[in-house]
Amino acid sequence: MTKRWLTLIWLTLFLSWQAQAELVIEITGGSESALPIAIVPFGSEGFSAPEDISKIITNDLARSGRFAPLAKQDLISSPHQKSEINFQDWRLLRSEGLLVGKISSLDGETYNVQFQLFDVYKGQQLAGKRYQVPASGLRRLAHQIADQVYQTLTGEVGVFSTRLAFVSVIRNADGSKRFALQVSDSDGANPRTVLQSKQPILSPSWASDGERLAYVSFENGKAEVFVQEMRSGRRNSVAAFKGLNSAPAWSPDGKQLALTLSKSGNPEIYTLELATGKLTRVTHNSQAIDTEAVWMPNGKELLFTSDRGGRPQVYKIAASGGRAKRMTYEGSYNTSADVSPDGQMMTMVHSINGKFYIAVQDLNTGALLILTETGKDESPSFAPNGRMILYATEQNGKGVLAAVSVDGQIQQRLGESDRGVREPAWSPIRK
Amino acid sequence: MKADWTKNISSATYAVLLHIVLIGLFVVGIGPTSAPKLASQPKVDIVQATVMNEADIIKEMQVQQDIENKKRLKEKQQQEKVDKKLEETQKELVRKEQEFRDQQERVKIEKKKQQEKIKKLEQERKLQEQKTKEAEKLRKVEEEKQRLAEQQRKEAEQKKQKAEQERQAEEEKRKKAEADRKAEEQKKIAAEKARKAEEAKKLKAEQDRKAEEAKKLKAEQDRKAEEKRKREAERKAQDAEANRLLQESLQAEQQEQEQRRVAGVVDQYSLMIKQRIKRYWIRPASSTVGMQATLRVSLLPGGDVKRVSVIKSSGNALFDRSAESAVYKAAPLPQPTDPKAAAALRDFQFIFKPE
Repeated sequence: MTKRWLTLIWLTLFLSWQAQAELVIEITGGSESALPIAIVPFGSEGFSAPEDISKIITNDLARSGRFAPLAKQDLISSPHQKSEINFQDWRLLRSEGLLVGKISSLDGETYNVQFQLFDVYKGQQLAGKRYQVPASGLRRLAHQIADQVYQTLTGEVGVFSTRLAFVSVIRNADGSKRFALQVSDSDGANPRTVLQSKQPILSPSWASDGERLAYVSFENGKAEVFVQEMRSGRRNSVAAFKGLNSAPAWSPDGKQLALTLSKSGNPEIYTLELATGKLTRVTHNSQAIDTEAVWMPNGKELLFTSDRGGRPQVYKIAASGGRAKRMTYEGSYNTSADVSPDGQMMTMVHSINGKFYIAVQDLNTGALLILTETGKDESPSFAPNGRMILYATEQNGKGVLAAVSVDGQIQQRLGESDRGVREPAWSPIRK
Repeated sequence: MKADWTKNISSATYAVLLHIVLIGLFVVGIGPTSAPKLASQPKVDIVQATVMNEADIIKEMQVQQDIENKKRLKEKQQQEKVDKKLEETQKELVRKEQEFRDQQERVKIEKKKQQEKIKKLEQERKLQEQKTKEAEKLRKVEEEKQRLAEQQRKEAEQKKQKAEQERQAEEEKRKKAEADRKAEEQKKIAAEKARKAEEAKKLKAEQDRKAEEAKKLKAEQDRKAEEKRKREAERKAQDAEANRLLQESLQAEQQEQEQRRVAGVVDQYSLMIKQRIKRYWIRPASSTVGMQATLRVSLLPGGDVKRVSVIKSSGNALFDRSAESAVYKAAPLPQPTDPKAAAALRDFQFIFKPE
């Protein structure tokens, strides 16, 4: 009798023990540090590929600052498809993802490419695709794959397949200069010249469709604003007024340009409706230089540089004109503003003791963060996802392209041109 | 009073005598010159003169004058007839008149003196009267005094009598009080006696009750002793069983201690597990404050992950996956060597929060 009672008591105790056994632990914090990712060099069959796709992807992801690709020597094996993967092994590397792929070509002209992105812990495929591209498309494809990995693992749009526009200065053998308006991949590689001139070219600006560029050319002996279509190469002058025609910036809807014109005798900001040629004067400050306008994402306001306060500072003004509001107070020199796609931040050139740095400022709080250290930095331009800032700097006396993450953590030189480059502009995401 | 009255009478007599003398003087004066017609009249006048007053005298004298004058007029006429001898007579007359006048003056003075005397007498009388009155008054005061004295004496007498009466009443009262007190004392003594009797009765009753109680107590004690004896017997009978139970409870206590020890180890390792997972957790940039994912995690012996499942999603797939990955990356999770504690660290719920 008692024995049975005891058994019952023990059973009850045991059950309650079991019920309590699921410990509840709260984990707060974590970090937003770079995601470790394992990128296995793609397997190759047949003709060897002219581009190292996995390397391009690795560099893209690393450059973004959001990923920490594992070093090649740390990769424990080289699988190229799911069947070859021992997930247990890969788990030990503690990467968030494993990217594998293959590239094959039967003729050296057309390439078949496939990639797979895995969650090694669950042994699940997160993304994967097959492509067939010409050899010339391999580089671009690599950027597209990087975009997909980026988007899959961060939830944000990748911008690796976007492009950069910039002006290269080429020194001829006779000592004279040539100017080239060039467009490269987002990593600065693969530059293509879209315009060459013996006269200076300045201030390229991308239309939001990514198909048109506006820029300043001195080809007619004075500063004029041109718009050029990327595909057709067709170009025409849109502003050739008396005096200065400079600093074009596209409105978000691609229908207007903001410009600096000195036809009134003093540099002022104007807006130009491209379809009608209708010109609207925005600033009316004949005592000061107003220039370098950029549009806020709402399409209703402009940021511009003005020395109306004595020193060049960034101001905000309604595109229809009106009263300008000073935006920068820190430092005695803030110029060349650009606005992040979400309109929350701006980047500008910030000068301290005669040196020029790239800085970002929170447009809501006014908090300023200086991102670079080189001291000869200029022309900052936001990546279309707002995560990186492209700018020009100087290395060994030559202008080079560089990019910095908006938190200043990642800085990288882009491209390997030995020509001097300046005035870069990051393209929008091609629709 | 009698003296005043006699004085008045003598004053009246003086007046009458004076008048008689005066009239006598007149008669003598005019006697030789009175005219025939009027000769009889003075005779009558003399008789009546005793009661004439002063005014009448003056009037009489006036009349007399007139008669004289007329007589002189007649005599003048006679004188014309008579010689110088008459002139002498007239001279004699003037002289007599002068005498009369002096006489009259003297009478006047005399009368004034008389009057003053009368007045004085009157005053004396009044004074006398006053004195008499005062004497009377004095007498009355004296009488009053005597009466008062008498009265006082009587009052004193009465007072004395009253005092005596009061004293007697007091004495009576005192005697009565004494009597009352004695009666009261008597009563008290009686009451005391009664009380003592009652007490004695009560004492008796109490003693009886106590005796009864003692009896009862004894009975109760007996009963208890009996019970105790019974219980003792029972306890002894149950001794073996009790010993066994004690043994069991000791065992239970040991188990409880063991459980506490295990719980301590579990707490310690829970914290280590928490820290380790936290270190491996990389949140997506899209995570926001307020997101929360709950994961159910089972471990293999040794701390490797056997199974992870999201039992409550944050609503953000990347966030959920970052939590899952964190658990996997953290594996093997720290495990104690104690098998009981390790067994308790097999199944978890992890709640992931950004803040």
